[in-house]
Amino acid sequence: MSATEASGKPQASAGGIGIANLPNQLHKIVTKKGTNFSLMVVGESGTGKTTFINTLLTTELIEPLDDATRRKKQLDKTVDINIHKAELEEKMFSVKLNVVDTPGFGDYVDNNDCWLPVVDFIENQYEQYLRQEQQPVRKGIVDMRVHACLYFIRPNGHTLKPLDVRAMKAIGARVNLIPVIAKADTLSPTALRQFKKRVMDVIDAQSIRIYQPPVESDDDHSTQRNQDIISAVPFAIIGSTQEVKTEDGRRVKGRQYPWGVAEVENDQHCDFKKLRSLLIRTHMLDLISTTEESHYDKYRTTQMKTRKFGEPKPKKSENKKFREEEEALRKRFTEKVKLEENRFRQWEQKLIAERDRLNKDLEQEHNLVKQLESEIEAISNAGSPNNKFFRK
Amino acid sequence: MKEGSGEEQNVAPSVYSHVSRPGSHRYKNAKKGLPFNVMLVGESGLGRTTFLNTLCERVVVDAAGKQVSSEQAHIAEPMQFKHYTVEMEEDGMKIILNVIDTPGFGDGIDNENCFMQIQEYIEVQFDEVLAEENRIKRNTKFKDSRVHALLYFITPTGHSLREIDVELMRRLGSRTNIIPVIGRSDSLTPRELVLFKQRIMNDIAQHSIPIFSFPDAEEGDEGDEENVEENAELRAMLPFAVVGCEEVINEDGRPVRVRSYPWGVVQVDNDAHSDFDRLRYVLLNSHIGDLRDRTHNEIYERYRTEKLSGTVPAQAMALAGDEPSVLEAMGMQHTVAA
Repeated sequence: MSATEASGKPQASAGGIGIANLPNQLHKIVTKKGTNFSLMVVGESGTGKTTFINTLLTTELIEPLDDATRRKKQLDKTVDINIHKAELEEKMFSVKLNVVDTPGFGDYVDNNDCWLPVVDFIENQYEQYLRQEQQPVRKGIVDMRVHACLYFIRPNGHTLKPLDVRAMKAIGARVNLIPVIAKADTLSPTALRQFKKRVMDVIDAQSIRIYQPPVESDDDHSTQRNQDIISAVPFAIIGSTQEVKTEDGRRVKGRQYPWGVAEVENDQHCDFKKLRSLLIRTHMLDLISTTEESHYDKYRTTQMKTRKFGEPKPKKSENKKFREEEEALRKRFTEKVKLEENRFRQWEQKLIAERDRLNKDLEQEHNLVKQLESEIEAISNAGSPNNKFFRK
Repeated sequence: MKEGSGEEQNVAPSVYSHVSRPGSHRYKNAKKGLPFNVMLVGESGLGRTTFLNTLCERVVVDAAGKQVSSEQAHIAEPMQFKHYTVEMEEDGMKIILNVIDTPGFGDGIDNENCFMQIQEYIEVQFDEVLAEENRIKRNTKFKDSRVHALLYFITPTGHSLREIDVELMRRLGSRTNIIPVIGRSDSLTPRELVLFKQRIMNDIAQHSIPIFSFPDAEEGDEGDEENVEENAELRAMLPFAVVGCEEVINEDGRPVRVRSYPWGVVQVDNDAHSDFDRLRYVLLNSHIGDLRDRTHNEIYERYRTEKLSGTVPAQAMALAGDEPSVLEAMGMQHTVAA
């Protein structure tokens, strides 16, 4: 080893000590460990969420609902959270994938607060992780924190609906939100451009926070690609798990119309490839790390500022439906209590009446006894002179 | 038929109309024009406005003009009733087409009020006619603005009817002729469209929703056999899948109304691509008489009976549908400002 330089840093020898090998070691570790990725899809029914997931994973992870279940759901008026788990493996690398679906969101006449179950779920995952971290034994933590949330916007060609604005605001503040234009094959290219611009205008004006992938990268190629991806937000997608034949004989994944084939993996037709790249090929790690470092940390900080170590989270049920049910139950309870009280009161009355009656009888008997006693005395008094007389 | 001439908004003056005279599709009111009132209902972005423009073959409404500022995007706009009048000529018959558009329907977070507003609007028109009939001296220039047909635009989810679809059609089916229509139907492949239509009709049957189902005429009319067949065919096409025209291109010298995509061109008037042409024919030609007749003879008469016997409650109508006995049992009162 040569002597230290004037700046004070020890200078390594020409061969190096091997620190440069660290990335390879990391690669081996990560490859062995695999990773865990949670993706959430939010949007009204019929926007192609299930089809998109199945197209993305090239496998039918989520089965489409059958008609009877769907009809029943329409009358349900609730938003459910369904979790689908899968383990994907590609070239010896495995990913534990969780897909969270939200059927019922925005489907009803009254959609007030329909985003609350979604927001609650996201925060609950942070809470679960926080608690597990605080345990004495930290092995085997189950991490269901949502790394990315895709919000499916209906392609109405005009603007974001008030429901979309409010839901996205609430969700974007807590998780990586990626807006997506569903069923984009119903908008012509001009209309699509205008709609995208309009959506981004509203997102900016309403201060909705969406996921910003990092642009700058080591090589120009990546930077260019990142810029392409960012400029395509919100992503216009078409989903299809079926293979069809185009006019020029190619077999592609797409949707076959009488007037042509809309291809899923054609950049001229939709942004599916860009979104897939964002979610999996290029930015999955960034999604995971921003969730852990930024969103989760924010949650952790706010919670730890207001709560003592080990204290459970205060529960606030803002769900309108639950409140209504609570009210109804409370009413029933008070009514039942009233009924029982009435019953007891009546019973009490009866007992009192009974007691009075018995007392009266008792008194009567008592009087009778007294009477008889006095009669006996009277007779015995009257009888004693007779007795004296007889003895003489 | 007029071709797309790119004229601006049409401003037809108010027209004469006869309140109580029934119209048949052969009734030629050549000079004055047959008034026909259609209401378009559906969430924004389903192509209502484009449909109107396509139907009238001219730009009646500029769809792009009505933009809300981005800062206000989180506030739901209240529903409005917008009236447009266009003079049409169909098969030698002059029609005064009055269209009532309902922007803002279903766009809010809670849309419970929308149904009531539309119901009230329709009932007000009935009340006006009722008041007019009862006058000693009638106004010959009375304008009949009863809604003869209501086109309800269904979102092309591909699954089945949503709660808002069911509620609207259920509540208004007894007050007007409802014709369900699938908006933006070019987002469904032919197979998906067939399944979707089937599911919708199943839902409609299951919920007993009263829609206009092309009923066959009771008495013998001319062309009876044809009519029965035609009605059956139209019933099988319900709900009509429509696509709105965005541009007119030139194909072999003829102007063709289309929507262009990178993967192909949808022809609006092509029966293989959409049911628009058929629907247009039904509305303005083959069934215009039936729709007007049914509105006057059945729907209006029923409303009149209920109103005059003092048992027209607004809420009960929504719940009970077509059962006057149920209404009488409820015995609730309702007054609508005439």
